[in-house]
Amino acid sequence: MSAGYVLVVAEVRRGLFEERNLDTIGLGRELGLPVSLLLPENVNGVDELLLDRVLKVSADEGTFLNPLVMVSILVKVFESQGQPDFVLFTHSSSGAECAAYAAGHFSAPLVTDVSGFDQSTGTFFKSYYSDKVFAQFKSTSSPTFLTVRSGSFRENVTRNQAAPAVESVGDIAPAEGRTFLEYVEEAGGAVDITKAEFLLSVGRGIGSKDEIPRYEELARAMRAVLSCSRPVVDKLWLPKERQVGTSGKTVKPKVYLAMAISGAFQHIAGMKDADCIIAINKDPEAPIFQYAHFGIVADVNKLRDKLIETVKGS
Amino acid sequence: MEIVVFTKRVPVTQEEELRILEDGKAVDLRKLPHRMNDWDNYGVEEAVRMVEKGGGGVTSVAIGDAEADEVLRRAIAMGARDGFLLETEEVLHDPFARATLACNFLKKEKIPFDALFTGVQAEDDQFACFGGMLAAMLKIPYAAQVIGVDSVEKDHLVVRRELEGGLQERVKVSLPCVLSVQSGINEPRYVSIMGVRKASKVERKVFKASNYADNVKSLIEVTKWAYPPKKEGAAMIAGDVNEVCGKLLGILKEKGVYQ
Repeated sequence: MSAGYVLVVAEVRRGLFEERNLDTIGLGRELGLPVSLLLPENVNGVDELLLDRVLKVSADEGTFLNPLVMVSILVKVFESQGQPDFVLFTHSSSGAECAAYAAGHFSAPLVTDVSGFDQSTGTFFKSYYSDKVFAQFKSTSSPTFLTVRSGSFRENVTRNQAAPAVESVGDIAPAEGRTFLEYVEEAGGAVDITKAEFLLSVGRGIGSKDEIPRYEELARAMRAVLSCSRPVVDKLWLPKERQVGTSGKTVKPKVYLAMAISGAFQHIAGMKDADCIIAINKDPEAPIFQYAHFGIVADVNKLRDKLIETVKGS
Repeated sequence: MEIVVFTKRVPVTQEEELRILEDGKAVDLRKLPHRMNDWDNYGVEEAVRMVEKGGGGVTSVAIGDAEADEVLRRAIAMGARDGFLLETEEVLHDPFARATLACNFLKKEKIPFDALFTGVQAEDDQFACFGGMLAAMLKIPYAAQVIGVDSVEKDHLVVRRELEGGLQERVKVSLPCVLSVQSGINEPRYVSIMGVRKASKVERKVFKASNYADNVKSLIEVTKWAYPPKKEGAAMIAGDVNEVCGKLLGILKEKGVYQ
């Protein structure tokens, strides 16, 4: 029997309540049931007035955000609070990891990367083919597990007048099969793309590593800093320090000139707050045109050559 | 180590306009080229490197129709020893159904493994949950978004998981386990057409999914396919390359980033 509430599992990193938790709470509000937040101890930055109930687990964040441990935590919560109608996670590295493992354990339905909800049909929108189309999913049993796309629902959060009840879930034993050892910071490089006012950013659509020197030339000529999307780093065309996006850097330049970047949402999340976004892409259907202020459909390398010629000639 | 790598054949959609058919009932994928899911490429490469160093073998498993044999040939060309096709009659949209099928198959055929690898996600449905569900069903540990394997011991691995914003976490995972492998963990080797041709001489086994169908069910259902909600969108700059170049530099000047 469901107990008529939404359970939101918090994502916490180095003691901080991640901003994308607002999207899980926001979807919880749209679902129209009381929202309970599940989180570990020692977390800063939680606005408890956004919640109807707070459930605290006596564990540190490294133990809490572990899929094996999460299953034991959820078993305890379901026992003490009753079974929720929905269990929501952020669509992040650890959120998706825990949601998949828990859904497999409980044989529960799971829709990941949810970016929309249709009240009238009770269906969830999920991206396919890098946002080219969306599937509307209906869940056939309860509780339904969901992971929520960052930036999708935060405008739906509402604040209560009074502080919520806070309850303890109690102690949780660490899992033997998997243990947290330490955080590792990726080594910083010589260039800090977050400080640049003008970023020239390239994607996999430029074709090959051999094209990179010409983009470096264009960036130098225009006094822009060169950055890139994830595939360019994966292919070792440019170093990691140049990567814009969820797993790279978040940037807010005056101008973001995206060349041959199609616009996966992980990339968009890292640059959407730029003052001016200009996108150049061969594919008129590239999702990045939905987020850009200006768009050009063109053969990107050809336009690059023309730009170099014009800028250097002037 | 015996490593089983799940590999998926996916349509290549980067520069394609996708059409939704029959008022939202399906997406037209008929004319699209297909290939191995990019994340699985990294998974196969990582597995092959591990057995090249420490011994053992790699088995590539694909769930799909007969055409999915293509990715098995590629995996064998990269260094996998075996290729198994788990042939399905219809597309299973719910990863829960695919994971249940895979779990039944591994158990019934008593496939030996020390580790199961998947890509972080498939390029087509981007669910990113097949490996986690499978691990839970098999009651073994799981680590997602693995961007580095730091050490391989007899009974455990130490791996680095990619988190957000340049942060990673190092975790210890007992064997056997499931890892989802992140792109960028290695540089997948080049596979020539000759290499694939040679690999196609290695026998791939076909298993009918209907023999492992116990409890294979979908818990979520697609009710409709839809185009993305249209935002305001970009002001498009049109013209030949000279015009476009001039207009673009004009905007950069106006924004004060170019003189």
